[in-house]
Amino acid sequence: MPKSYATVNPCSMCMPMGSIIAFKGIENSMTLLHGSQGCSTYMRLHLVHHFREPVDVGSSALSERGAVYGGAANLKKGLKNIIKGYSPTVIGVATTCLAETIGDDVLQIIHEFEKEEPMGLKATIIRVSTPSYAGSHEEGYTETLKEIIQRLTAKGERNNKFNLIIGAIISPGDIRYLKDMLEHWCSEYILFPDISETFDAPLVKNVPKIAEGGTPLHEIRDMANSFETLTIGACIQSASVGSYLEMNYGVPHTAFPLPIGIEHTDMLIAKLEEISRSELPQKYERERGRLLDAMVDAHKVVSGIKTAVYGDTEVVLGITKTLREFGMDPLIVATGAKNPTFKRRVERISPSSTIMCGVDFEQIHKEIAGRDIKLMIGPSTGRQISRQENIPLIRIGFPNHDRFGAARQTILGYKGATWMIDAIANTLLEHS
Amino acid sequence: MTIITTIEGRETHIQEKKGVDFSPLACNNDSLAGSVSQRACVYSGARVVLNPITDAVHLVHGPIGCASYTWDIRGSSTSGSTLYKSSFSTDMKEMEVIFGGEKKLTTAIRELVTKYTPSAVFVYSTCIVGVIGDDLQAVCKAATEELKIPVIPVKSEGFRGNKNEGYKAACNALSELVGTRDYTSKKRFKINLLGEYNVAGDLWPIKSYFEEMGIEVIASLTGDSKVEEIQRAHCAQLNLVQCSGSMAFLANKLKERYHLPYKRISFFGLRAMASVLRTTAEFFGDKTMTRKAEEIISRETRRVQPQIEHHRSRICGKKAAIYMGGAAKAVSLVSALQELGMQVVIIGTQTGEKDDYAKISHIVKDGTVIIDDANPLELRDLLVRQKADLLISGVKERYLAYKLRIAFCDFNHDRTKTFEGFTGMVSFARELDTSINSPVWTLSVERVRQINKLNRAAKIHEKMFNGELENAEELCDS
Repeated sequence: MPKSYATVNPCSMCMPMGSIIAFKGIENSMTLLHGSQGCSTYMRLHLVHHFREPVDVGSSALSERGAVYGGAANLKKGLKNIIKGYSPTVIGVATTCLAETIGDDVLQIIHEFEKEEPMGLKATIIRVSTPSYAGSHEEGYTETLKEIIQRLTAKGERNNKFNLIIGAIISPGDIRYLKDMLEHWCSEYILFPDISETFDAPLVKNVPKIAEGGTPLHEIRDMANSFETLTIGACIQSASVGSYLEMNYGVPHTAFPLPIGIEHTDMLIAKLEEISRSELPQKYERERGRLLDAMVDAHKVVSGIKTAVYGDTEVVLGITKTLREFGMDPLIVATGAKNPTFKRRVERISPSSTIMCGVDFEQIHKEIAGRDIKLMIGPSTGRQISRQENIPLIRIGFPNHDRFGAARQTILGYKGATWMIDAIANTLLEHS
Repeated sequence: MTIITTIEGRETHIQEKKGVDFSPLACNNDSLAGSVSQRACVYSGARVVLNPITDAVHLVHGPIGCASYTWDIRGSSTSGSTLYKSSFSTDMKEMEVIFGGEKKLTTAIRELVTKYTPSAVFVYSTCIVGVIGDDLQAVCKAATEELKIPVIPVKSEGFRGNKNEGYKAACNALSELVGTRDYTSKKRFKINLLGEYNVAGDLWPIKSYFEEMGIEVIASLTGDSKVEEIQRAHCAQLNLVQCSGSMAFLANKLKERYHLPYKRISFFGLRAMASVLRTTAEFFGDKTMTRKAEEIISRETRRVQPQIEHHRSRICGKKAAIYMGGAAKAVSLVSALQELGMQVVIIGTQTGEKDDYAKISHIVKDGTVIIDDANPLELRDLLVRQKADLLISGVKERYLAYKLRIAFCDFNHDRTKTFEGFTGMVSFARELDTSINSPVWTLSVERVRQINKLNRAAKIHEKMFNGELENAEELCDS
């Protein structure tokens, strides 16, 4: 591929976006972006479109003066106003390109704020460095998880729990599915970060300022004292959160792919059986059986269908694997992130695929055109190609701006794969 | 004394209208840090104004985020090129931040022009470009000479002010284009439409009315426009300015430069729409045109009136809250809602200026709360305090209303329904009716546990579904 200087229709977002999502997984937390007002508004808009929930994100609203003389005053005022307005337990301060480039010492500013301001210690303030030019939203997400864990965990008495870290951005519905499964099976665990309620809140009589749910602060602190850590979605993305707990607190860590499709789900389940010393509840055995049954039912319809899969690395890996299990042909597998591990991992499960890394939709489009692709799977950002090439698109992943139910979509586990096989077969029939 | 509790520094931005003594509202300043303003940035202002130009490359010079979040987000429709629906970015990385991004930008422009043969390139600067000091002016000038098409820098560094600054940056870019192409029209009467963005195809029926009146619309800025049309906009005899927040600056510039007069108008609401056609005919002082205008007005009004009346009867008396980006839209909403018999209880804007709020205070009734640069907490308290039945705003506010179980209408530039002109008013009325009178609001949020209450609710709903009941409010949360 010749080197291109312009990105046309991006297949990724910027770091602070991932940071906002990660912080949303902490109970009673707010995020403040240190930068100009637009960043927070744009990212809110993007998240609101996807989750169909109100999303409040603060900004230090840097102006020209802030850009020249530094943003300390604005950041402090922002923190104060967030505390006054929302009384959060945790405030995540994520930097933007502007703050990083003018060289604000954010840690120092927060430190001063905590000392100067009487209400400064009312919230735990966590800073994370997330300039847009340094990585995509996926890196922003993992970077933020690491920062939170490093900042909050503390050695204490051993607990009887294991940690389940959500290493990649998945839907609230997916997380609820995992929690349901664990509830009926091995209840002693800490799941972090937990966006299952915060990004998909029910309609209630008295609407809280900050949506309920999320991993409580004390549980995050206690992650240092668990007997084991499992991270799902840390195959391509950095597994550094789990490694940190292992190295600093001796909590053994295993990284898994996201449990999408049969084998990747089996892997996680086997591990969970081992650590819970109890068998998978019968209900899920039967769910697995039903998935196989559904796959058998539909195998002729989906067989050999040339598919283009794109989106976030870990989700794409899981879907590619699942398509292989279905007997489909994931001919094009693409991601916007520049991550060499992606290619290696996908190659292992689908050697015949054209694997594209760090690409935009112009490049994906070029690859799709003329290759007899019958189906596209990925975020709604592929819709222009889908329309122009008349290829049906099944919307999975973030962002999904033009269909309902993104927050509830479940692709994890046997249930998720069952939904996928039905959705794929029906879409193909509809379009044939 | 403020009417709701809010953070320090925001009190002066909120006021309840009481009689004639309306003191000036604090406005048009930097948003307060940490207040969760609904505003965006300078870049956003410039981008929304210029983006509907269909046959141009809109290239964002900066890191990827700014281009990702603005890709194809406007609801502006096109009758020609779809180039504007793509998002171009130089995707700056650490290296460019350190060593400068001019070289990458130059190559990117060259590459895109070769590949897409656009009629012009708009190069938007972002925060970071303002800090590292890339010379966009020089790069664009060199590119213009080399590539023989206009390559126009848009000075839109995010931190340089609020959205209004972005509008100005966009107007400056547009004014570089206007007057660069000769044109001889066959028509005697020629106008431009400024601040009309052809959202959901709003423009097309309106344009046909003008054509019926014998008027050529040379350029519509910027909805469904081509670069070429903007270049010959100076050949018009009159500018009709709708979204004045974004376009007044350009209108004034063109007035100075070409003695091109302008009139502020709105295409929204039956009265407003009729008034546009009359005003235009009056301006040209042509009798045939005046007759034609009256003909269109009475024909179209007759056509849409019964449908609007149907919806009006179902929504009149309801309380509406308005929170808009620009003041012009907010003002025209007030009169349209009056036509529908609704009452405005809150009205606010992101970027209104002193004069706008003074005007707003004149047209709303006592007891209406006027607010500048509102944040979600304030909006929420106000919606509850003012007992609003409906919020008219943008996507960011939609789910705030829904969580409070308040009906909602998207009146922003990413809406998918046409609201302007005669037909648009029908669809607007229908939209409000659909949301306000949906049975979803009447279902009890807390599960009803007594069987007799449930029976009663079921009966009321039955009546409602059968159209025997207009209003099911009595059912809500007994």
